[in-house]
Amino acid sequence: MAVQGVEQTILRDPALFYWILFPISIVMILTGILRHYATVLMNSTPRSPSTLAESRERLALLRGVNLRNNACSVLNRESFEMRKNYMISGFRSGAFLKDPNNRGQPPANPMTDPAGMEAMMGMMKGNMMMMVPQTLIMSWINAFFSGFVILKLPFPLTIRFKSMLQSGVMTRDLDVRWVSSLSWYFLNLMGLQSVFGFILGSDNAANQMAQQMGMANPAAMVNPLQPGQDPDKLYLNEAENLEVMEHFCILDGVEERILQNFAPQGI
Amino acid sequence: MAGSISDIRNINGSDLISALHLAQQAPTILGQESQSKSSTASADTAEYYARIEQLLLACLRTGDDQSAQACLNQLSLRFGPSNERIMGLRGLFEEATAKDHSALEKCLQEYDQILSQSPVNVPILKRRVALLRSLNRSSDAISALIQLLDAIPTDAEAWCELADLYQSQGLSSQAIFSLEEALLIAPNSWNIHARLGELLYIDGDALQRSVQHFSRSIELCDDYLRGFYGLTLASSRMLEKSNGSIPKQTLERLKAFGLLKLGEIVKSRSVDDQHWASSRSELIAAKELLNRF
Repeated sequence: MAVQGVEQTILRDPALFYWILFPISIVMILTGILRHYATVLMNSTPRSPSTLAESRERLALLRGVNLRNNACSVLNRESFEMRKNYMISGFRSGAFLKDPNNRGQPPANPMTDPAGMEAMMGMMKGNMMMMVPQTLIMSWINAFFSGFVILKLPFPLTIRFKSMLQSGVMTRDLDVRWVSSLSWYFLNLMGLQSVFGFILGSDNAANQMAQQMGMANPAAMVNPLQPGQDPDKLYLNEAENLEVMEHFCILDGVEERILQNFAPQGI
Repeated sequence: MAGSISDIRNINGSDLISALHLAQQAPTILGQESQSKSSTASADTAEYYARIEQLLLACLRTGDDQSAQACLNQLSLRFGPSNERIMGLRGLFEEATAKDHSALEKCLQEYDQILSQSPVNVPILKRRVALLRSLNRSSDAISALIQLLDAIPTDAEAWCELADLYQSQGLSSQAIFSLEEALLIAPNSWNIHARLGELLYIDGDALQRSVQHFSRSIELCDDYLRGFYGLTLASSRMLEKSNGSIPKQTLERLKAFGLLKLGEIVKSRSVDDQHWASSRSELIAAKELLNRF
């Protein structure tokens, strides 16, 4: 055990600083920037529906949700019941589906469905973007720099931090304040987010820009359906939600309310 | 600095005066742009292009076709001519510069051709409806719009347009339905509430609902001129008929409240005339109403 109260001193070659600490940090920052731009480059905009029926299939669900959320502030009982019945029967009968004939059949295999395939490719690309550089750099660091103690933190820490700060250095007695090269890599990996925010502009402004103009009509581009999800099931679910809805209307008594809240006394 | 791109205010869609101001600055803005193009890359922001789009619309309204063409070129240079929104803007430009009826027909054919290739091109779908409307083919416009809304039922703008079309054809109950749909998408928009109140008032059967919607519109925006105007009219009409379920005393108070607020609004806005220039006609109407009661 380390002797209490006695400062551990390790004589470090200053070259460790220039040849390990510095390169790791720089490489991490550069890969972060590179990854950002690669993501921007490979980012595929969400696919807009290709036929009117497909668009309807996506948006009918939102219409149901809108009715459920906003009916109370707009509709009187009569028109609410009318819309509710229309939506429920539409959902139940599958009138909003892309092709009502295919109803009840198991959803197409996402591997064969081109739309699902695309979405999966998108996800895959994103994951690869993270995985590949990390694996490479990690193995690079492991091969070249493992086992170095490169840094001493200026503040004391409890023993629990040992596994976080000293991975790759199997020395039981070493004070927790010493940081190994592999741990420095991990710290960089997790902690550089704000640096990227500073360098690249907050929230990756570059890639939103291209989409904004593309989004001619945001309402038309929303897709509540995940790939591989069966819209019919969601519809039935939504129909049930609508069915249990009770009508109430905030327009009832609104005249009294504004008189009370806005009109001056004595009117 | 006058005429710089960042000086462009967000102009009100129906405000002809500020559109004119903006369009007059167009040559300076576009000239500056071509100079500074090489020096600053920071101009490449979404706001910048939104402003250019606004400038394009203002130029088209004021008849400055050359500047409009320059704006359009700049936009399509950045986003490519196959961008849906750019296609819509180009269609708008061609419609606006069309010389005669046959040129408009040609635009319509072009839209049909684009839509046969990509059926869900929303800006073009909307342009087509607007073009049909300006060709005085309202029933075609209505059916095209219904087709659009069947596919995209969450588009409040389209529902409002449909309501307007129905109303112009005298089909008030359909118009009311459409506005209700629009309100379901945007439940807090006081202007749509007031508009719905107006339609209900014109329809005449549901004065109580009309009063309620005007009240709601006031509740959401407590100095909305149209809301107070409608509230005053609708409540006094209800008083004349005296068959609603709102007690008479409440109606009297509503009417008095509406008149009081209208008076205040008219007074404060007449002082600050320039600022409210766009809604001058509304002010005149309000004054006239105040004189009547």
